[in-house]
Amino acid sequence: MANITCKKVSAATKDLLDCKNPLWQTEKELIETAATPLANQPSPYIKGVYSEDKIGAVKKLWMKSVHNGESIFFYFEWESPQANMKIQDINVFADGVALLMPLKEIDKTPITEMGTKDFPTTSWYWRPDFDDKPKNQVAHGLSTSLYTEKSSIAASSKWENGKWHVVMGRTLKANKPGEETVDLAPGGKIGIGFAVWEGSNGERGGVKAFSKEWRDLVIEA
Amino acid sequence: MAVEEKVLTDREKELAKTFEATKDMLRKSDHQVGMVMDLNKCIGCQLCSMACKTLWTSFEGREYMWWNKVNTMPGKGSPKDWEKMGGGYKVLFEGKVMEPVQGKHPTRKEFGDLWKFNWNEVVNSKAGDVHLQAKNQEDDSVPDWSMNWDEDQGAGTYPNSFYFYLPRICNHCSYPACVDACPRNAIYKRETDGAVVIDQDRCKGYRFCLEACPYKVIYFNFVTDKSMKCIFCYPRLEQNVANACARQCTARVRWVGFVDKPESIIYKLVKVWKVALPLHSEFGTNPNVFYIPPLAPSRLDDSGKIDPTKPRIPRDYLRYLFGPEVDKSLEVMQTELDKVRKGGKSELMDILIAREWKKMFDIFDKDPAIMERKPAKAGIYTRPGIKE
Repeated sequence: MANITCKKVSAATKDLLDCKNPLWQTEKELIETAATPLANQPSPYIKGVYSEDKIGAVKKLWMKSVHNGESIFFYFEWESPQANMKIQDINVFADGVALLMPLKEIDKTPITEMGTKDFPTTSWYWRPDFDDKPKNQVAHGLSTSLYTEKSSIAASSKWENGKWHVVMGRTLKANKPGEETVDLAPGGKIGIGFAVWEGSNGERGGVKAFSKEWRDLVIEA
Repeated sequence: MAVEEKVLTDREKELAKTFEATKDMLRKSDHQVGMVMDLNKCIGCQLCSMACKTLWTSFEGREYMWWNKVNTMPGKGSPKDWEKMGGGYKVLFEGKVMEPVQGKHPTRKEFGDLWKFNWNEVVNSKAGDVHLQAKNQEDDSVPDWSMNWDEDQGAGTYPNSFYFYLPRICNHCSYPACVDACPRNAIYKRETDGAVVIDQDRCKGYRFCLEACPYKVIYFNFVTDKSMKCIFCYPRLEQNVANACARQCTARVRWVGFVDKPESIIYKLVKVWKVALPLHSEFGTNPNVFYIPPLAPSRLDDSGKIDPTKPRIPRDYLRYLFGPEVDKSLEVMQTELDKVRKGGKSELMDILIAREWKKMFDIFDKDPAIMERKPAKAGIYTRPGIKE
């Protein structure tokens, strides 16, 4: 799979965190996503009553990443017929997007299982009801992802004409490198994966669309 | 069943084994505490509901929840029409195969949303101008359902109309559909008492449990974004204090005790006398809350005379709720009742009358009022095997 390049730009963090910044409308990377396999569902209920062909309503995700030497930003855009902003009722689910990175060696970290006990992953998880404060998560395999206590990720988002536009950003340097988050350095490279949830399709948790393979994110020096 | 049969990879087979082993472990408990409720005695006063509400569900997004409620039967219950919402299991080959059944999420209005009242308007208006009105919290609509909304309804025609009360809590099932449903392994049975609890640190509010529970006794907390349910008052059980709903019951409806210890009254009622039955056992989850079915009076015939051959509550309705075993249960109770009426003695009737209140609670007979009350220590409990 081709690398994804995170270009260095000279712009202020506050401007890059704006999902309406014209920069985000320049060339983007297409990520094709697929349904999470039922075989990987830790819940016998989900395995038994859900169908894989109905999971993963979002098939295409466009993304772009840049950094300004201090912070790194990820922009996402995808089609969603309605904005599922908040959980107003028990049968209502919010939309969402996330990126996943390995905390250790990429070749020992299965993306389809969100890592393993010894090779965990970290993810940035955005939902419209998180009030532009995406959660940082750590997972040691399927069913284990937990929000970390503090997340330094910020976001901005809008839904317009059937499309979500979301940008998430964080300082390149991590607050708890290795344990909960990864240090991202200009000139470096890290594996990256993605997931999208379509709330109106009842998608939440492991019922989602995801990128089946790691891509390399190359951070320009 | 979902999708066509797929050929699994070795890794997928390995994962499936691990997942099954984890669920087996989360379902396991060394002991099981259960509850029996006598529907012949319940007067629908809701003291149990209020005891539970005061203790557990009065704040932080729990206000609309009723971990304990008393429904009037026949009725749609709460959430409205919960018996038709699916979930639970199709039990095949004598329980060797448990096929999960797709369930539906109840809505907050079906449970009965939290109501807002126009107190200020009433207080600040001229007498008679404004009347007190309730509105649903979420969208200001006028409520059309809530806990025991249909309490005056009942069924049948005069003079043979009837109703009875059905108190409901989580059944703390031996094969809980919610445990199976949770993709995060956040729900488990406690080893010491078999109470089914949701780990609030692991729960992320995905609500698969609300879908899968056939009794629809799990609620979603809109404030904390997590699912919550009756915890069987486990902090009380740990101190040998019976559940709040049981102690508060003015009609001596509820017994608490070990289902798996022959000396316990629960064991006697469920396994020896076999008069206490689970609700909708066909859901396949093996509840540990049992009911003594109502031995209602007989019908009156057209001339207004009692016809002892016909029960007031149609037997089919009781079979629908409690299964075919209800026939035997009612027969045993009638026999024992007749024995006592003729001046004889009956162990069963002595248990059901419950002359000695404290004996209803097995070892859980401590009075919470005389206990030393230290503030609870913050502690984190991790069920073995679920971390990492």
